[in-house]
This record gives sequence, structure tokens and C-alpha cells, in this order.
Amino acid sequence: MTSGADRAERRLAAVLLAPALAVLAGVTLYPLAQALGLSLERRVPVFGIDEFVGLRHYAFLLRDPAFANALRVTAVFTVASVALEVVLGVAAALALATMRRWRAAGIGLLLLPWCLPGVVTARIFEWLYEPTGWLGIPGRALPALIVADVWRTTPFLALFAYARLISIPPAIGEAAAVDGAGRLATLRAITLPLLAPVLLTAALFRTLDALRAFDLMYVLTGGGPAATTETLTLYAYRHLFQTLQLGLGAAAAVLVLVIVALVAWAHVHALDATEART
Amino acid sequence: MVARLGGLALVVLLFAGCGGGGAPPGVELVFRHSRMPGQDDPLPRLLRGFEREHPGVRVTHEPLPWTADVQHQFYVINLEGRAAGFDVLMVDVIWTAEFARAGWLLDLTDRWPAAERGEHFEATVATAMLDGRVWAVPWVMNVGLLYYRSDLLDASGFAPPRSYEELAHQARVVMERAADRRLGGFVWQGRQYEGLVVNVLEELWARGVELVATNGRVLVDLDGAAAALGFRRRLLTDGISPSLVTGADEEQTRREFGAGRAVFLRNWPYARRLFERPTSAVRGRVGVTALPGGGALGGAHLAINRATHHPELAWQLVRFLTSDRAQLAIAEAVGLHPTKPKLLEPALRSIFAAARPRPITPWYQTLSATMQPAFSAAITGVTPPRDALATARLQLEYFLQGP
Amino acid sequence: MSHRRELLVLLALAVYASPVAWQLLTSITPSEELQQGARLWPSHPTLASYAVVFTQSPLPRALVNSIGIALTTTLLSTVLGTLGAYALARLAVPGRRALVLGILMTTALPAIATVGPLYLTMRALGLRDTWGAVIIAHTSIALPLMLWLMARFLRALPRELEDAAFVDGAGRLQALRHVVVPAAAPGIASAAVVTFLYSWNEFLFAYTFTATEASRTAPVALALFPGVFEIPWADIAAASVNSPSQAARSRHVTAVLRSSSPRASAGSSASRSGAASVAR
Repeated sequence: MTSGADRAERRLAAVLLAPALAVLAGVTLYPLAQALGLSLERRVPVFGIDEFVGLRHYAFLLRDPAFANALRVTAVFTVASVALEVVLGVAAALALATMRRWRAAGIGLLLLPWCLPGVVTARIFEWLYEPTGWLGIPGRALPALIVADVWRTTPFLALFAYARLISIPPAIGEAAAVDGAGRLATLRAITLPLLAPVLLTAALFRTLDALRAFDLMYVLTGGGPAATTETLTLYAYRHLFQTLQLGLGAAAAVLVLVIVALVAWAHVHALDATEART
Repeated sequence: MVARLGGLALVVLLFAGCGGGGAPPGVELVFRHSRMPGQDDPLPRLLRGFEREHPGVRVTHEPLPWTADVQHQFYVINLEGRAAGFDVLMVDVIWTAEFARAGWLLDLTDRWPAAERGEHFEATVATAMLDGRVWAVPWVMNVGLLYYRSDLLDASGFAPPRSYEELAHQARVVMERAADRRLGGFVWQGRQYEGLVVNVLEELWARGVELVATNGRVLVDLDGAAAALGFRRRLLTDGISPSLVTGADEEQTRREFGAGRAVFLRNWPYARRLFERPTSAVRGRVGVTALPGGGALGGAHLAINRATHHPELAWQLVRFLTSDRAQLAIAEAVGLHPTKPKLLEPALRSIFAAARPRPITPWYQTLSATMQPAFSAAITGVTPPRDALATARLQLEYFLQGP
Repeated sequence: MSHRRELLVLLALAVYASPVAWQLLTSITPSEELQQGARLWPSHPTLASYAVVFTQSPLPRALVNSIGIALTTTLLSTVLGTLGAYALARLAVPGRRALVLGILMTTALPAIATVGPLYLTMRALGLRDTWGAVIIAHTSIALPLMLWLMARFLRALPRELEDAAFVDGAGRLQALRHVVVPAAAPGIASAAVVTFLYSWNEFLFAYTFTATEASRTAPVALALFPGVFEIPWADIAAASVNSPSQAARSRHVTAVLRSSSPRASAGSSASRSGAASVAR
């Protein structure tokens, strides 16, 4: 390619990307800057306190057992939810993709849980769990929430896996069959690797979402019992809006950002590696 | 392609302008409050009455969702940002001191004559004051009550209990005598939220322990507080309180008692109406009395946003809505009780008069949010009460005194 | 897949979705029964809740707001996202790695930390209580997903498709429009569904940025239903089950998803009859 064509290509890329990037930058830069600045201050409006304290909040967070607890809860929640959603999602997608007659009905049923507003979903599970009392038992509340989250979000992964599956030309599968490959072997050697990039990307987003899990815990348990369901974001919320320690809350939110960034970076690396292989 | 995108942008911009009409001429007052429970909302009627008395003034009222937390969050975002989007606001009794210290409310001390102040219950007026100044006018009031099954207590020859130990004893006796194995003893709100703090405070008060001492120090009597929490924990381990309590809020416990599955219930006054409904399983068999040590004070006040452009008119609105007529109308329509003794039914007057406010301090939210996980850990047996309280106290010291 | 197998799968999915059916049952249960606690079957089914929802509540208006906001968000995100994704997937973008990570980072800060400053910005711009504020917020959250996932989908498409178009004399943009987009339709459709549903159900921004019925969305309206301690679950269930737009959207998108495989042939006629059964 000539450099002229290169430049033209770059210009086209800029034009195509500019609107999206403009929206993103416009909406996220100011809050981000604000959060960063706030995290370095001790701002407690109730007392009229507004002083620069540098990294003191971060030092506190790193020694606070409640923050460590939130880290642990979030990690458990994220790993369990995403793993379950991926497995169930792929299973559902595979089943749907090979259906002939009832496929549309199947897709409809699959999407139903996802159509409900969050507050309704929360109440459904509140009522479902009420006779069991799990939401009030320290060891059971978090698994109960994981189940609720998996129920609600599996369609997300299933949908993308399904869309990718039906884009795979049947010719590939047929060729494998001609070569004498069994169904399971085809699955492992051909389908899953082809599915992997899209699946991993969807899983990445789900992971980033789960790391910031908030709604379900907030409505169903408030972080209890005994803080066994208090995720990082809930911890940050507690300080931003309940204790009104704005600086500390902002610092917690920034730490969430850092954690999410690290996970994203690791994920991207893994994704690129997978991609290089296929 | 570019032209298409431009056209799309235009369409989007047109849409973006949708919603939010322009303001008509005249003065507009904006009143934000949590929407009224039940189907019969008395506010529109009342506000139209106010508009008739003040021609040229329009009152727009904008409700907020029912969760107190969500309302609090809304107010924090708006008032911290100094955005005067509303003139009159409904504040929970536990936020008034906080908002006042933050400088978000208009000082009403000079506008509100002391004589009129005296018409309200003393406890609720106290929650509207900070540093000797008045920042809000009491609007509706709630007090923690002890509900009991009068038929079951009568059958065992008991009078309503005067202490929590007595309550536990009576519950145990009744449960043993009962034919129904599923009958629970004492249901209360033990979920990790503000309600838990309320219940624990009531237990503390019954033992003469204060969460916050008069000098502002927290948990001065750590052992006393630990004993109170230990008592509540034992209610659960001894089976006097069913295990659902550790995850239950007002509604769940109300339903439990309302289905006839508990001897005692701690809840707010709203439940009375529900228990006396024709379809209620416990109709005519429910008694109400004061909690040992006093019930916690709940409810809300009306305050004025300091950044309002119409302080005098806003004050008129506040006076109007807290007048006898308005409070009675609200009580009748939605069952939220008035704040003046003379407007309350005689049977409740002494109980309401003995209501105890939660610690009146600007940092009550901080206190509560830090205590909730500690209390929950203690009553679920995750952490011994003393350890949980000690940790919470340490955290509070960081928040309140700083480094 | 054998006929019986298909029915088994369908049964499994039906069990999975059954709580939603329970919502439907709740919506026809009289409120008094619900006061006593959750039930499975109503003893006297009634449509009273629907009557309340449609005549007395602000929900119909809120539904209109929700549909408008969600549709606009989806449209904006899909267009901007697909264009940007194409650039990321096929063109030489300077600093691609950093850009891609940067896009991901915009979703990293929890919404509770951004909602305050954003709200103040919207106020300053005069966008408070308008669709615009919510649309902008929702789009900014949907875009990263859109960009990323679409880039993946587009990258997975064989280059031969476009090369064939180039050989025929088409420019990049024409190739995009006539060849790439149709081939990526399932991915685009999925992302569109995801975005629509996200915007439809989103609460925090919708609640913070709107103040009156003029722009309030359905989830917020649901949260404002009367009932402090007693919550009218029948009404809420009726309101949430009743989303004609969702039904329509699902049906249309399902059609795209069903038939979008470039070589799907035998499926078409059977699936057209299947579409009718999705109508709710």
C-alpha cells in the first residue's frame, strides 16, 4: 500500500471513530477527573471539612479490614458468576443453534429473564428466598445472590455466543464430519476455538460488570448479613452517600477503577494471544 | 454518508429536547417529598388549597422513591452541588441535623414562634434542632411499638411485658403451651440496614446504655452494649426469635405476625391498620403497648432549601402543610401520624410522648452505616459482640476525628 | 436435533424463565392476597391491577419515555459503534492498543461515582429532566461494549467478502454498507438487543437525571408507585409484564437472529411459523 493510501485509511479511521470517542470522552473525563481530585481530599460537607490529605485515604483503605472483605466478596462473586454464566450461556447457545423448529420460541424464552426491570427481579428472588431465609444467613447470602445474578445475566452471554455460532459457515462443520470427526470432537477442536474470541470478549464485559456489582446486593441485602455481601462498589457507596465521607468514597471508587483496569488489561492480553493463535 | 450522519444527529437532537416543558409565568414553588403510601394521596388537594390562598403561586410537587436511602442520595447530590432545584423538602428525622450542619437548610428559628413549637411533641422538635437553632418543622411522626397477641397472653395470664427479659420469658411460655409448633416468639427487624440500628438502640435504651454519650463519644460503655447485643443473639440461638429475623425488615415481620405466627412484634404504627382489616388473620386479637425502654422516634420534617429564591413563600407552604388541618388530612388518608399531641388519639399519646430520638448529631448517618455491619455480625454469630463493636469504634474514630 | 430433544430444550428454557411467568400470575392476583405474602396461584384472578396501571398511574407516559430513550440510545450506539468498530477491526488506527484499553477504561469507574458530577454537568447544560441527558449517559455506557464486540465480530468475518467487493470497484464505505454489515447482522442485532434492554432497565442515571413525568422512565415510575411499607406488587407486576415494545422488538430481532446465517436455507419457512409463537 502506498503512503497516500495509508494516510487516507487513517483519516477514514479517524472519521469513523471520532463520534464514538467524542461521546465517551465527553461523558467520562469530567467525572473521572473529579473523582481523582476528590480522593486526595478529606471532604466531609457535614463538617465543612475540605482539606488536602494526599494519599491518606488510600493508606487507610489498604489497611481497612472492611475494604479487604469487600475485595474478597467481589472476587468470589465475579469468578463464580462469570464462570457459571459462560458455561450455561454456551450450553444454551449450542442447544439453540442446533434447533430447527422451535428456535424462535427458545430465543424468546431465553431473553425473558433479561427483560424484567432490576427492581422486579430483585423482588422475585426476595420472595423466592424468603421461605429459606438464606438472605439472612451469612454463609448463604452470597451464593444466593450469585444464583440470582446468573439467572438474570446468562442471556447476555448466551445471545452473543449464539450469534457467533450461527455465523460460522456450516461448511466447516460438514467438512469435519466428512473427515469422520464425532460431535464432541468437532465441538472441542472447531466450534469452541471459533467461538472463543467473541465469548471471551463478552465474558470480559461481564467480568468488568461483576467487579462493579452493586444493584442486587443493594436491594436485597444492603451488604449484609454481617457484610458478607458487601462488594467494592457497595463499600464505596456506603462512604459516598451514607457516611458522606466524599473523599474516602472517591478513593474507594478509584481503587475499583484500578482493579477493573488491571483485570481488563490482563484479559486483553489473553484475548490477543488467543487471537494470534486462530 | 456524512449527510446521513448529520441527519441522524439532527433527529437525535430533536429527541433530546423532548420532555421538560417551559415554566409558566408567576411564582413556582417546588416541593420534593417521598411519595405517599396507599392509593389516596392527599397532597394534590392540599396544595391546590394553598394555591387558592396564594394567588399567583404554583406549587409543583415531585415525589421521590420510597427507599429512604435513595432519597438521601438524591438530596446529597443536589444540595452538595448547590443546585437549587427545589424550595421545600421532606427530610427524615435522622437527616435534619446532618443537612443543617452542612449548611443546606434555611434557619427557621426566627420565623417559627416558640409557642407554636410547643404544640408538637418535644422529642420530634428536638430532632429538628441543632446547636439551639431550628432547621425544620415536624410533619409526620412514627414511634416504635410493641405489638402482642392479646389472646395468647390472656390465656397464659400475662400482662404486657415491661422489660425485654420478661418479654422473652413470656414468649417462651406461650410457645411451649402452643399447639402450633411454628409459632415464633418475638419478631423484630434484624436485617443489616437502618432498622437494625433502631432495634438495637431500643435494646440499649432498655438497659440504660447510650450509643453516643452526651460528650459526643461513641460506645463509652462497650461492655453494656455488648451485653445488649448478646441478649439479642441469644434470642435467636434460644429459638425465641425465628431465624428469619436476621434477614427481615418491617414488611416481612409484619406479615409473619399478621399470619398469626408470632407472639410479639416490634414495628411502626402503620401495621395497626393492616392487622384490623377484615381479611387479617389476627383481627381483634392484637394489642399495642410501649416498648420497654421506649420506642424509637421516626418520621419526617419539612425544611426549606437555603438556596431558595422565595424563602417567605416557602415558609408559608411549610406552615400550611404542618397546620392542624393538613396533618389531620394526611393522617386520615395515609395513616402517617400527626406530630401534635392534641391531634393524636388519646390511647397513643403517652406512647408517642415517650418516643426516644436516635442520636441527634450531624454524623448519625456515618454512625449508623458503620454500626450496621457490626450489629449484624454480632447477632448472626459471625463475630463476638465485643469484638464487632470495638472494630466499629476504631473505624468511626478514623472517620470522625480524621488522621 | 431430534424433535424430542428440541422439546426437552424448550422445557428446560421454560423452567428457567418460569419466574417471569410467576410475575404474570402475580399481576392478576388481587392486592389483598398479596398483602399476606407471596403466592403462586391467585384464588380470584383479576385484571384490576392492569386497570389501575393504565388509567391512574403515570406508567403509560413512562413507557413512552422508556421506549423513546432506549430506541434512541440503541440507534446512536449501533451506528456510532459499528462505524468505530469497523475502523478498529479493519483499518490501521494509530495507537490501537492504547485506544482499545482507553475505551474499556471509560466503563471502569462505578456509576455511583460518576452520577454526581454528571448530574451537575447536565444541569449546567440545561438538560435536566430531558431525554437527552439520559440518552447521553446510556450511550456512553453502551458504546464501549458496542465497539469492542462489533470489532470482534467484524474481525471474525473473512476478508474475502470485502476483497470481492473491492474487486468489483466498491470503496471502503460501500463495502461496509453492502457487504460487511449484512454479514455481521447477527452480531449487530445481538448488541442492539443488549443495548436496548440495558437502557430500558437502567435505573440510577434515569432516576437522577429526571424529575417529572415528562422524562421519567418506566423503572423509575415503578419505584415511585405508592406504598411505603405495603408495595402494590400486583400493579408493578402488571406494569412490568406489559411492554408491547419489548415483544415487538424481540420478535423482529429474533427474526434477524434466526435467518441471518449467510447460508441458512432450510430454516426459513419453519422459523417464520415459529416467530408467531414468540408474540406475547
